[in-house]
Amino acid sequence: MGKEPDILHVVDRQGVKLVRIRSETILREGEVETFGRGLLALAEEPGRRVVLSFLGVHHLTSLVLGKLILARKRLAESGGELRLADIDPHIFEVFSITHLDRLFRIFEREDEAIASFSEEAEA
Amino acid sequence: MPSHSPETGLGPGWTEKVLPTRLECIRDPEREVVSRLRDLGYDEDHRFAVRLALEEALVNAMKHGNRMDPARRVVLAYRLSPERVEIRVRDEGAGFDPGVVPDPTRDENLQRPCGRGIMLMRSYMDEVSFVCSGQEVQMVKHRKP
Repeated sequence: MGKEPDILHVVDRQGVKLVRIRSETILREGEVETFGRGLLALAEEPGRRVVLSFLGVHHLTSLVLGKLILARKRLAESGGELRLADIDPHIFEVFSITHLDRLFRIFEREDEAIASFSEEAEA
Repeated sequence: MPSHSPETGLGPGWTEKVLPTRLECIRDPEREVVSRLRDLGYDEDHRFAVRLALEEALVNAMKHGNRMDPARRVVLAYRLSPERVEIRVRDEGAGFDPGVVPDPTRDENLQRPCGRGIMLMRSYMDEVSFVCSGQEVQMVKHRKP
């Protein structure tokens, strides 16, 4: 996993890439770009199922939303999917206001998001 | 005794900061505003709202207004009181017509990676207006109990 930059911590969980964000806020240009590149790198392998956990993240901007949308699109194009979890209530409100809660599948906790992939595979 | 802010001409009570067009320069004034809001007793909801709107305004000014041109500046002015927050952000770009910015919540725009900054400012602040042909955004948030 050497390609993922340090801002993201990526682990394998039941065939799903669980991605945690190391920074409480993602603002500086370098961080936003690194964040976006790290997510896009996950789409390099076709069919990847990715859960992005926002645990510990208490602030973001629309720049970050843009990176999420691009990553979601790239993963979908490669047959994969991006799901989100552990979103702080304030940040969830941002998703709700922008209607991005309709675009992304959002779970309360990362374990639920990971399990949702296998539950769907079994169904 | 200070009278008027040199860049904006605003009167006493206003704090003015001239920022270079670099996104990393947003963090310090943002922290300062949030810290002063905390001192004034604003709760977390208010602080989150103002911080988000301020960031969106500054990012818009640098990226879309100044097009990340390091030779251009962004002028931030704010006046904070226990009753309300007033923020003005001005760039040195060509301006824009906020009326033609597409609604990012429409189905056909939902997958566009940009265009949500103005909407978030309007959602989190009580008053948002664009003046000087869109070069300056003026925002107000009133304290609610």
